[in-house]
Amino acid sequence: LLDIFTQSPHFYDYVTAAVLLLGVFNVAEVLFLLWNKARVESSELKRQGLKRLASTALITATDPAALLPRPAKEEEFAAYSEAIASVLDSFEGEIAVKAAQLISDLGIDDHYRRLARHRVWYKRGNAIDILSSFKLKSNREFFLAVFRSETSLDVRYRIIYGLSRLAREHADIRALARMLSGLPYLTAKYTEDIFYNIITALKATGSEAEFGIFMREIMNDKTVLNLVKRDCITACYAAACEKGRGLLKEYYAAFPDEPEILIAAVKALARMGDFSVTPAAIRHPDWRVRLAALKYAHLCCMDMLPEIRALLRDPSYHVRLNAALALAKGGEKGLAALRQEAAGPDAFAASTAAYALSQEAA
Amino acid sequence: VKLFLLWAAVHASQYVLFLYFLAINSVYTALILLALRDIVRHAYLTTSRVARRQLASEFYFKPVSVIVPAHNEAAVIIQSVQALLNLHYPEFEVIVVNDGSTDDTLERLRREFGLLPSVKPVRLQVPHEAIRGVYRSEAYRHLIVVDKVNGGKADAINAGVNVSSYPLFCSIDADSLLEPDALLKSSKLFLEDDELIATGGIIRILNGCKVQDGAVTEIGLPRGFLEAMQVLEYTRAFLSGRTGWNALKSLLIISGAFGVFRKDMVVAVNGYRKTVGEDMDLVMRLHRHCRDRAIPYKILFVPDPVCWTQAPFKLGMLLKQRNRWHRGMIDALLTNRAMILNRKYGATSLIGVSYFVFVELLGPLIELLGYLSVPVLYFTGLLSGRFFVMLLLLAVFWGISINIGAVFLDIYNFRRYKKTSDILRLCVLSAAEFFGYRQLMLLERLRATVTFRKKDWGIQDRQILEDKGTAT
Repeated sequence: LLDIFTQSPHFYDYVTAAVLLLGVFNVAEVLFLLWNKARVESSELKRQGLKRLASTALITATDPAALLPRPAKEEEFAAYSEAIASVLDSFEGEIAVKAAQLISDLGIDDHYRRLARHRVWYKRGNAIDILSSFKLKSNREFFLAVFRSETSLDVRYRIIYGLSRLAREHADIRALARMLSGLPYLTAKYTEDIFYNIITALKATGSEAEFGIFMREIMNDKTVLNLVKRDCITACYAAACEKGRGLLKEYYAAFPDEPEILIAAVKALARMGDFSVTPAAIRHPDWRVRLAALKYAHLCCMDMLPEIRALLRDPSYHVRLNAALALAKGGEKGLAALRQEAAGPDAFAASTAAYALSQEAA
Repeated sequence: VKLFLLWAAVHASQYVLFLYFLAINSVYTALILLALRDIVRHAYLTTSRVARRQLASEFYFKPVSVIVPAHNEAAVIIQSVQALLNLHYPEFEVIVVNDGSTDDTLERLRREFGLLPSVKPVRLQVPHEAIRGVYRSEAYRHLIVVDKVNGGKADAINAGVNVSSYPLFCSIDADSLLEPDALLKSSKLFLEDDELIATGGIIRILNGCKVQDGAVTEIGLPRGFLEAMQVLEYTRAFLSGRTGWNALKSLLIISGAFGVFRKDMVVAVNGYRKTVGEDMDLVMRLHRHCRDRAIPYKILFVPDPVCWTQAPFKLGMLLKQRNRWHRGMIDALLTNRAMILNRKYGATSLIGVSYFVFVELLGPLIELLGYLSVPVLYFTGLLSGRFFVMLLLLAVFWGISINIGAVFLDIYNFRRYKKTSDILRLCVLSAAEFFGYRQLMLLERLRATVTFRKKDWGIQDRQILEDKGTAT
């Protein structure tokens, strides 16, 4: 092939054309770079200006749509949506209503709904993200319709995220759970985020109890992954879901062989100031559960001093260390036990005790 | 017979050189195109409000141990640690490992941060030289200093891993500065993807930038030719190279200057191995470990967490560094030779490792053959002057377009260098690289190929970080 190519009578023409083409391409690249730099800088300035204008109009004007120029370019839509989302995050009442009204007055929702059907998946994903940030109830049906026709998993996950911010009632949570279980489990963080959004949305409407009903429903549902149940509990932890206390104890009792669920329950309850399961967790055969419980032992379980002291000889390094720290934080009796251990014959226990004492002194 | 063999060799070499020329430039062009797609997508998905809201969230994070190996880093260590203590992150610890420094690195740390001995038992999970003492700062409870017998960078990070308390660790060079949100951006990925085991951000050149209170406040292209040329090289290597390898699931290097790892996985491969290319070696062993055991995993490069690092400003230092990198790469490839053209390791072997063997390892030898064969072929009448000039122009123009393509990726998406003069200088350097600089680097890589068994690191001069400008 190389021979045919090099011996062709047009060989030099080809090479010259390639050289010229590359030369022109290089010059064009440099010119494009400079043009793009100027374009981006001016569009950035314009974007910032529009953002400021929209924020001010939303807060000060009675009819902001009359003051603001209608967006036509992508950067103008982006500037307005940024400003509106920021206002919606920070304000409630009249200003929030005005912001939501502005979205439809300026055709922003229509624009992003069109983009949510773009042929490039990340543009669709970005449009869904922006629509999610508006938290508009009217987007619920749209999200559900797009979800049915959407082919990209990445975008489907984003649609569920958007829907999670709009949950209002029990049927919404069930629908979201069904949609989630129809997709491969993504990550703990993602599932937790979804449930966190749901709890926050329900709390805002005073229907936090709905989430409790949902958690009770899935507790014994074998079709729901234990990982999802764990993520529900950690979402309760993150969203400080105070009303779920009793339910979390039920979860602790129902899953004695699922350390992930037990750890999540211990932490979530402790955050609510409930240490009723901590003593049992300290005695649990799985070291991870013991470790999670020991972090709170000084707050609730100093009557278990001999048991905690025995954990200074636990096979797990982390358990030994945290048992010592729990004793150090547990008052004079704990410190006395540590002092004895530090002078004792067991090198492992002595070194951890010495460390905990030094930490306490510091 | 001898003449025939010579004739055959000359002909064969022509084909080899021409095909190599086509192959290497095509690979680089393909990488740029892949990177462009990836970076535009990444920019779209990470700048959305929802994504930024999640980044700023304090509910979801995994605590991180930042490990800083330091050997004779007295000149820069205080500023580096101060910068690290100011990171935006909900829960982290900074572990400085003083790797048997012979200067006053430890003394300065002790004075500045009020170090007190810590008796926390160290769990020996990965091997390293003996620890002489562990200290904790009185003022900053999340600053730990480990003093140990000298054992090299890999050994020091291993000690840091053993002392660390958290499930993720970030290794960073003592002369580098992390942007305040770099840790947040890179560790967030571990929350989003349970399969992620290691990630690295982009390394940018600190020379020429203004630094105040341990943070980069003004970005500029360094004035010195060598340093500015390295800006171009780093931009190309990270934005087109690593992003492209990402897309091909074949990332083999996470820079030793800034990488975040899942500790359990690093412990599972017995930590870092003592070698001059410990970063590439670790990543290759992680690939092998996961593939051998059918563990689903991801190793990713992300272009937006930024680590600023000092680049060598003297030619001798630069050559030493490149020599070390090349030796490290050869050593990593030899140690992990089971991954060469092995279908068991999938794209990582067939694309990533093959690239390193045939382009990075054998490339300098073929390039040298090219330089030597031109006069031989010309004087024996086998090469026409016109063809030579055309081929040279083609090679240089193609190379320039690859370089400008990398600059384009950076300026188009990240716009770090904002001055027009800096952008134009980068374009000029894209051409200048082919006239002397590239050949110098080639010779050093050839030297490294011959002396690849050497294990020394050499000494690098450091500039004080609070200083603007170049080779001072």
